[in-house]
This record gives sequence, C-alpha cells and structure tokens, in this order.
Amino acid sequence: MVDPATVERLLGSRRQLGTSSPTPLRPADAEGGCGVIGMAASVPVAGRHLLQALAQMRNRGNGKGGGIAAAGLDPVFFGTTPEVLENDYLIAVALLDPAAKAEVESEFLEPVYEIHHAAAVPGLSDFRSLPGLDVAPPAVHAYFGRVRPDVLQRFLREQQLDPREAAKAEDEIVYQTTYRLNRALYASTGEKRAFVLSHGKDLLVLKMVGYGDDVVRFYRLEDLCARVWIGHHRYPTKGRVWHPGGAHPFLGMHEALVHNGDFANYASISSYLAQRNIHPLFLTDTEVAVQVFDLLHRIYGYPLEYVIEAMAPTTERDFTLLPPEKQRIYRALQAIHIHASPDGPWFFLIAQSKTAERLYRLIGITDTSMLRPQVFALQRGRAAVGFAASERQGIDAALASLAAEDSRFWPRADLFWNARGGSHTDGGAFLFEATAADGGALVCTDKFGRRIDVDGSKRPFCSGFRPAAADPALSSAEIGLPAETVFAEASRRLPRWGYEELQSFLDGLEGRAREDAERTPVIRTLTLLLDRRVPTGGMKRSGVVWRIDETLARIFDDVRERPGPTYAWMSAESAVPEPASPEQTLVIDARGYPPEGNGSLARALVDLASRGFRRFLVAHARGHRFLGAGLGPGSEGISIDVYGSSGDYLASGLDGAEMVVHGAGQDQLAQIMKSGKLVVHGDVGQTFLYGSKGGHIYVLGNAAGRPLINAVGRPRVVINGTCLDYLAESFMAGDALQGGGFVVLNGVAFDEDGEIHDLPAPYPGGNLFSLASGGAIYARDPHRLLTEDQLNGGAFTALSSADWELIRPMLEENERLFGIPLRRLLSVDGVERPPDAVFRKIAPTGLKALMPEEAWVHKAK
Amino acid sequence: MTTDSTTFDLLVRKHREALHYGFHTWPTLALGMPPALGDPRWTDELILATWRQAEESRAPADGLEFRVGRSGGGFDRLDFKTLPAESRLQATALVDLAIPLNRRGFDREVEIPVPWYGGGMSYGSVSEQIMLARAMAAKEWRTFTSTGEGGYPPSLAAYSDHVITQIATGMFGVREETIQWAPILEFKYAQGAKPGLGGHLLGSKSTMTVARMRESVPWVSLFSPFPFHSVYSVEDHKKHIDWVKTVNPAALISVKVSTPNDVDMVAVGSYYAGAHILHIDGGYGGTGAAPQIAKKNIAMPIELAIPKVHRFLQQEGIRDEIVLMASGGVRTAYDIAKAIALGADGCILGTSELVAMGCTRCSNCERGRGCPFGLTTTDPELSELVQPEWGAQRLSNLYRSYAGQLSDLLRGLGLKSIRELRGRTDLLLYRNGDGGSHG
Repeated sequence: MVDPATVERLLGSRRQLGTSSPTPLRPADAEGGCGVIGMAASVPVAGRHLLQALAQMRNRGNGKGGGIAAAGLDPVFFGTTPEVLENDYLIAVALLDPAAKAEVESEFLEPVYEIHHAAAVPGLSDFRSLPGLDVAPPAVHAYFGRVRPDVLQRFLREQQLDPREAAKAEDEIVYQTTYRLNRALYASTGEKRAFVLSHGKDLLVLKMVGYGDDVVRFYRLEDLCARVWIGHHRYPTKGRVWHPGGAHPFLGMHEALVHNGDFANYASISSYLAQRNIHPLFLTDTEVAVQVFDLLHRIYGYPLEYVIEAMAPTTERDFTLLPPEKQRIYRALQAIHIHASPDGPWFFLIAQSKTAERLYRLIGITDTSMLRPQVFALQRGRAAVGFAASERQGIDAALASLAAEDSRFWPRADLFWNARGGSHTDGGAFLFEATAADGGALVCTDKFGRRIDVDGSKRPFCSGFRPAAADPALSSAEIGLPAETVFAEASRRLPRWGYEELQSFLDGLEGRAREDAERTPVIRTLTLLLDRRVPTGGMKRSGVVWRIDETLARIFDDVRERPGPTYAWMSAESAVPEPASPEQTLVIDARGYPPEGNGSLARALVDLASRGFRRFLVAHARGHRFLGAGLGPGSEGISIDVYGSSGDYLASGLDGAEMVVHGAGQDQLAQIMKSGKLVVHGDVGQTFLYGSKGGHIYVLGNAAGRPLINAVGRPRVVINGTCLDYLAESFMAGDALQGGGFVVLNGVAFDEDGEIHDLPAPYPGGNLFSLASGGAIYARDPHRLLTEDQLNGGAFTALSSADWELIRPMLEENERLFGIPLRRLLSVDGVERPPDAVFRKIAPTGLKALMPEEAWVHKAK
Repeated sequence: MTTDSTTFDLLVRKHREALHYGFHTWPTLALGMPPALGDPRWTDELILATWRQAEESRAPADGLEFRVGRSGGGFDRLDFKTLPAESRLQATALVDLAIPLNRRGFDREVEIPVPWYGGGMSYGSVSEQIMLARAMAAKEWRTFTSTGEGGYPPSLAAYSDHVITQIATGMFGVREETIQWAPILEFKYAQGAKPGLGGHLLGSKSTMTVARMRESVPWVSLFSPFPFHSVYSVEDHKKHIDWVKTVNPAALISVKVSTPNDVDMVAVGSYYAGAHILHIDGGYGGTGAAPQIAKKNIAMPIELAIPKVHRFLQQEGIRDEIVLMASGGVRTAYDIAKAIALGADGCILGTSELVAMGCTRCSNCERGRGCPFGLTTTDPELSELVQPEWGAQRLSNLYRSYAGQLSDLLRGLGLKSIRELRGRTDLLLYRNGDGGSHG
C-alpha cells in the first residue's frame, strides 16, 4: 500500500492540470461489443500470429477502429538497446498531422524529457494497399526518454513528496505530460493533430481506423516479437468521421486496456474520477475503465486482487462463501469504490509491463454477471503460451499460426476454461505473467493467486520420447478390425505408447482409408480417439489430439483427390457434386466459406440438403456460424458432423436433424432448437439452448452462463460438467414426467489421465432454476452440496423410480457417446449407490395463484 | 373514470348496442354524446371519433374532435401550416401515400400503399380473432401486421405475406418455419410502454391454448426477459440478424427498440448491423396490461425521439438508407402525419386498432377475463365477441378514413406524396396553451 499522504499529493498535483469540461454524463462514442484477443508467452512471439485470429473475428468489429498493444518488446525493432528499452519510457505519438511533430517535441517532450532515442514506427507507403482502409493511419513516432532530473526534483519539491517516492513521481509526470499533450493537440482543438498512443516502459500501443489486423499489417508488426500481445476490433456506432483516438487500447501508465462491451454508469465513474482530479479526454467508456485501473493500481497501490475486486465485485451467494477476512476487506473495497465499478456487460483485457521485475502481464477480467463471452486457454511444452479472447476459435487460429512456424507450439491448447465473474471460485479474472529471466517463463493464476497449470509430467509431441513399458503399435491386420475394436485396442495400448507408436498406428489407419469403402471405419476410429477422453500415458492429450487432427485432415483431403461412392468432397471453390446415394457422405472443406452471409457455409448446407445430400462432414471449420440453421422443420435423416473450430449459433432452430460437434461449441448454440439431436464433445458457451423447445442434447463438458434460459416444451439435456450460473432460468418445459423437458447435470470431469472425477460442486452458481415454472433438473449431488439458497422458485424433491426410468435411457446414451459409464455416475467414493442417493430432482414449487379464471375454465370443461 | 351507476349502465348498453348493431343506433341513446372513458391523451372524443371512423370510413364532420387529444403537449400541441385555399392541390388531385420499407439497396423491394402497418400484439395478449382481423385488414390494404411474441397461430398462415414474425426476448413460438414464412422479421428489443421490463403475460391469460402455442405451462405467468440474453452489444445484434437471415435470406429486418436517451446511437448501430427498418416505440403506447408506473414514465415521448433519430441519421449520412417507423402514442391520422413531418417514414399502429374494434381504454387488459369487449383476452367466451371479419371491416374502414385524411392534408400542404412530408418540421405549428401559436 502507498502512504496516504503520497496518494493525496499525487492526486492533488493534478489540480494544476485544470479541467475545461464538466464531468461528462455519457460517452461521446457509443459502441457495443468488440472482438478481443490477448496472448502471453514465455518466449517472444511475433505479431503476425494475431493476424488470422483477428481476421476470423472481423465480424465483431466494423472496420472503424482497431488496435494492438505489445509488451516485452524487441529493442532491435526500434534500433535501440535493451537497456534503453528497459529503463526508458517509450512515448509513442500518433501524428495525424505530420507537421505537429515539431510542436510535440518542443512544447511537450523536450521540456520534460531527456530523450535518449527516437525512431519512426514505419508504416506502409500507401495505406490504400490494404483493402477496406479509407482513413490514413497516423504516422507514429517513438521516443525513448526519462524525466529530466530538474523537472523531477521540482515536482517532488512542489508537491512536497518524499524523495523516496521519486519513481512514483516520475510516472506521474509522464502521465500528466501525456494528458497535457492530448488535451492541447487532440481533445480540445477543432483539428485533431497528435496524441500519445502509449507512454509506459517496454509497452507499445498502435491504433487506427480499420480492423485490428490492419494495424499489424500497416505498421509491419508481423515480425515484431513481444511477450504479451492484445488485439482489438471495435464496433463504434457514432460519428461519420472516425478518429484513431477512439480506438482501443486505452492507456493507463504501464498498461493498455481493451474492452468488449459497454457499461451504463459512465457518468458515475466519471464523477468518481473527477473527485480525484482525473478527467477523461477521449470520452469513451474504455478510457474511464483504464483510468480506474491506473488509479487503483498505481496511485493507491492496491494489489491486483483488490483492483479486480473493486472493478468486478463479488456479490450474492459467492460473497457469503468467501473467508471472513476476505469478506471484511472486500466489503470495505466495495463500500469505497462501488461507484468506480463498471456496471454492465464487459470483458477487459489488459497488457501490462513491469520492467523493474522484467515481468509482462496479460490480465483478463470479466464482469460480475458474466454478460460477455470470454474464454481462456493455456499450452505448455518447451515454451508456454496463454490466451484470453472473446472467441475460442480466435485462440485456435492464433495457436495454429504459432505452431505452423515454431516447433515449440502445436495447434491444440492443453486447457480451455471460462471465468466465473465475481465469484468466490476463481474471481472472474485470470493473470498470465511472462517473465524474461532465465530464458522465460509463464505463470497463470486466478484473481486469488491460485495457479492454473497443466500436468507437468506429460510430454508434448516430440520425437525420441519412449514410455517405460512400450507397447507395439497395432499390426496391419489389427487395424483392419471393426472401428470399435480398433478403438478399444488402441486406447488400451495408448498409455504405453510414445509418439512414434502413435504415429505408426495413425499412418496405418491412413493407409487403410485410401479405400473409399474403408474410410467410414477409419474416420470412426479416429473420431472416437478424438472425442473420448482416453488415457494418453506419458503423452499430452493435446499432442495426441493434434496428431489425430493431422491424420483426419489428410484423410479428408484425400477424399478431394479420390472421391468415391461413400465419400464425396466439395469446397467453396469447387463445383457442387450430385449425391451418389442418400448414404453418401459429403466432406466439405470449410476454409473457403465466409463465416456468415449469403455465401456462408450454413447457407451452403441448406442448399446441399435440398439437393438430396443427407450426410455432411464439415472439415476445417474456422468459426463458421449458424451451421445447421435454416434446414427447417422435418430435417430428420440429415446428419452433420463438424470438425475444427465450430462457430456461434450452431444447431439453432434445429428441427429433426442430428449434429455432432467433435470438439467444443461456441456461444449461442441451439437457440430455439425444436427437435433432433445435438452432441458436443466439449464445452459450450453462453446462452446455450436459449428459448429451445425440444430435442435431445448431450454435452461432454461445461456450459457457460445462462443455459436453457426461457426454454419451453421438451428439451432433454445431459450436461456432464457444470454451468457458470443461471442454469434453466424461467424454464417452462412442462412436467418432465409427462413429456416435458429436463436437464441432467452430472458435475463430473475427466482429468489428463482420462479418469472421471467429481467436480468440487455440481453447480457453483448462486442462481439455479430461477423463476422456473416447468421442467426439472436432475443434479448428480451425492454429497448434498447444492443448497436451498441457490434456488429461487424451485425445490429439491426425491428422485422417484419414474424419474430414474426417465433419465436412465439418456444416461445410457450418454455412456455410448462419451464413455462415461452409468455405473461410474452412480458410484460415490468408489461405492455404487442407488440412483435416489446420487441424483436429486429440482422441480417447480407449484406455488402459483389459482386464478378465478382457471377455476372457471376447469368448470366449463 | 366515470363510475356512477347511471353512466355504467349506459356504457354497458352502449357497448352491447355498438358491438352488435354498430353505431347507427346512437341517437336512441338519447343523451346526445354517448359516454366514453378516456384520458387527456386518448380523450373520450378521440375514442368516439375512432369508433365513428371504423363505422363510417371517414372523419366525423359534426364537430367531434378526431385529430388531437387534450394532453397539452406533443402531438396535441402541433398543427399544420396548411396553404391558403387557392394554393392547395385540387380535391381530385392524386396524392401518393405509399412508402418503401427497404431503402438499403440490397434485398428485395417492399412498398406499402399507406404509411403504416400494425404493431406486434401477441397471441395471449389478444385473441386469435383479433390477430386474424388485423391480418385480414393488412391483406386488404397490402400492408402488414405483426405476430407479437406468442407464436404464430396456424390460421394466420393464410395471410403470411402480410404477417411480420416478431422475435422477442422470450422467443415464445419462434420456430424455423415461422421465421421462414415471414416477409419481414421484427426483433423486439424493448417496448416503449415498459422499456427494460421485458414482457409479462399474467397467469390468467396464459390459458391452455395460449400455453400450447408457446409450449409453456398453462396458467403460469410468463416472463420474457429483458434484454435478449444472447445480445448484450451491437456486434451480438449483428450476429443475431445474420442468424435469422441464414434461416430466411429473403426477409427484411426490422429492429424494434424503445426510446432511451441514446436511441440515436441504437439507430446507427442497427443500421450497421444490416437492419432495413428501425422501429422506435415511444412511451405512450401499450395496453392496460403494461404497468402504470412504467407507461409514459420511462421512454422518451415519441414526438421527441423521432426528430432526434431522424436528424442524427441525417448527420451520419445514412438517413436515406434506413426506414424509420414510429409507434407508441400514434392515435390518429393527424398523429401519423405529424410523426412523418417530424422525420419518420411511417407509423405503426396498435391501440388505435383496438379502439376501432371497440376498446374503451378501460385498462383491464392484464386479466384473462378482464376485457369486456373480447379484445385483450384469450378467454374462449369473451373472444367470441369479436368476429374476425367484423373486426377486419372495422379496421379497413379506419384505414380508409386515415387514408382520406392524409390525402386531404397533403393536398392542403401542396404535397403530392407522403414521402415529401418526411422531416418537414417547417410545415408544423406549435400551438401554445393560450390558443396562440408560432411556427
């Protein structure tokens, strides 16, 4: 903590900045969500790896604002030394008017700084060479310098600051100099001439009117290496003339923040800041968010945990589950800073550099109500990389890009997870800390400092790795056996294989698949290995899966070369084949299709179904949205298998068809789904099954926030993991025992070794089955961890034999699909128990006012 | 509200008479002007005048006020600067009331011959008979009506070319086929009468048939959340539109929002997301089922919101690419004209249509057997009070009266097309309370 007097004096020193404008009531710019991705690595990684991820998330922006931040930079890029990069402030100035450079230097920089190095950040000679760019990006000049000693001494003296606080004072001078420059040359003048992009140490921000990936291309950051990157597309909705100053990231001191969402209490936060002599200049909500962060972190000196708590408070049931000491501190934080807590949907990504500690951070914070999509990921091998993004497919794309040219990475992350906003479990925030010391390291922790890590005993894909007791790969005769047999045998031997044996087995399968008729069992075998969480011994699951991905990709590509009666192939560029028979599977290479619109893959599927195709295999999906939507009612008999990174709204409106996602789903899956079947071999994102009316749905992993909200009719769902919160809010699906809908919530997960274990709680959220009037939840809760206070309108009831007969067939199908044995679900601490000792039913309380009209209608009947 | 017993008896008599024999029998009521309910915005005179128009297809000519109410603000203070008689267009001059509903330059062209269509009222909030009556009138006038959020009764399918499918936050009754049937899809983000409160259908209106249509539990109050939980931002909104366009690529997209302070930003956001129609719903709409505390107290009056959005879209240079429709307090033909002069392309009607079919604004809409006229009810008995054909005829007559008044008004202003009136605030007068006025 910082000495209160120092805080007082630092904030007091800002009075001399003055303020020309009253506290704004609302932001000048309006914008909604955006596309964001952050990446932190134990080794420097190049900017080009953001390109594909940002390109695939372009539909989250509108080309009117894009930006990047990078921390832990390469001095060579600027033509300077590591010492200068580490010790000096890097002041990057956007010169919208190149003639402003002289004024920037003489009026603002030279009187304050000793400039040790200056360099232009070169841009492309002609911005029009980037299609779609219609505003010239600013020329950017980077200055490396320190505050002049006399300026620093004068500041210390005038503000009566302890000389031991010189470092804090220097930061503050830099901050105020930037403020003066921005106010004079950007905010208050009619013509916008120049502004400071960034001023932290070893931190660079670049932004412009365009998409985030345009920033990388225009400023030639493809080859710039950094340890932390964030990229952003913006979707501003006001202003015919856009300026780069409104784009993200926004600047704190040694950190830059990007934001997805918006909040309602801009005026409140602005007046909170105004009371502390902090006044916004760019008038966007993102700007005040980063000012709050800077105030709490730098001026008040709060540890990050408290900064996060002040911004995204722990509330409701989660608060009561905190340890008493934390409750005491958090209560005080909330009392003082609640007006600075952004209220609304938001997800912040922050890139921060701490050069004194040679530390670079990526911080992802989600709002308390978890209203924005967010996903985190980690991969650790010879190097480590962590991600936070608005879409999982963006992470997949960045990893694929890294892996394509750097053998330390591979295209599959070890871990993917969502943050539970404002929770007692993870605090809704995760920090990736990359350090440069000792060749580099990356540590991931949650808000409370708990480590998130992968199983260190597992090996990533590499040659020469031999397990202690090796097993030979399957012989060619064995590979010719039925798919289930081959799968069973391979998964039995897999724990004692090295990557050589695995590869030899996969190559054998690939050879068998060169016969068109043999493709089905081979693809089935590989898909089982991909989908099932089988033990992988000394190998990392992500490494094994990667090898399977590659084999499958080659088999799918082979269909293109040699189609047959069983498998046909097409892509966005190829001619549309005629179905040889209704049993023929059409392999569609998704890569050439746009993610949405008339030429989208989703529309192509509708068209192909009308031409008589019934079986589809979507290969190489890259966030393609709406797959399965538009098939209309009566689509029974159509099956769609999706491989790769599937996109939002998959299976929405599905009414008869069957879809299988061989991997995780994204957000808004199966909206208004009516009938048919959906199987997801992984997690699903936000508002899963919103307004759904029916169907059979199986999810291997977790659902994020608000699954089944407003669902009616008869959806029947098995979720093997859990949900973040708000499961089955306003559920109206009749009486489960009379044909209505229900959710079976198993609360289990697989570990790296393929072992099923119980989650700490079947459901961590404070809102379960709220306001529900129909349907039921069958929660696997043998230890009775769910409590009344999680319910609002539902009640625990005993599981009847009729209930068990209802859910048992679903759980048997669940066993077939995911290899989660029914007997294992009934086992508690290794002992099999009767169903009613394991599952609890949550049903509507049935408390409703019987209206006179109801009685009247009953009588009339 | 008048409650003494004599008036009450008269009301009952009047409605029985009115509903079954029309208004031809008025003189027999013997008290001169028949009694009506009403409030300063929807005055007794306006209610009676709307009934008369629904009966006679023209504006009353006997002095009954049919243009404005007595609210003392908004539309009620506005008037038109009509030209002197000699400068007006001749009474026989043809004027064009048609407006386009797609000005984007992509997707198909849709034009309606009158500058209005019917707003969303769900099966549940009103009866199937009322929905049918509205659909029949929409078909006759080649305009539209909207399903509201309660499903798409199969009887409406015969009119599907004139029925907008509404997709609202509860997604009740929204299925792929109801999206595919619709020429226009309407996303209802909020309703001006109760912004931020979502939708409610109290248990007694959620009858067996209503619940079957919505696939919910009968006799349980239904709640449509606010907002769409899948849409917390404009980029989600774009994704939402992209989704339904995947299901029905031919449909036009209408985005219905209430009128918060930043309604102008919402408008631009919708434009960028690809909407064809922006529907702004002011705070004076809603049936009696909307909470009293919310109505008129949260959303901005539509008279303020229209010019705000219109001008902002002009500044952004996109006004001529999006159709701006206004609702929530549009009661009369003159209100429609004023809304257009303030900057809307056209209007969306709700309450005035119910009034045409006999509504007295008694505010008894939320109960299953509350509506004495069989309008805002799904009770099997009460619903029978309104026959669809009868209701359609009433609406058609009202439309004819509106069309006639708008044509006369345009001639009086020397305009040949309703499209020329848009944004012509220079043709409006603001009348002071003292009877004076300034332009």
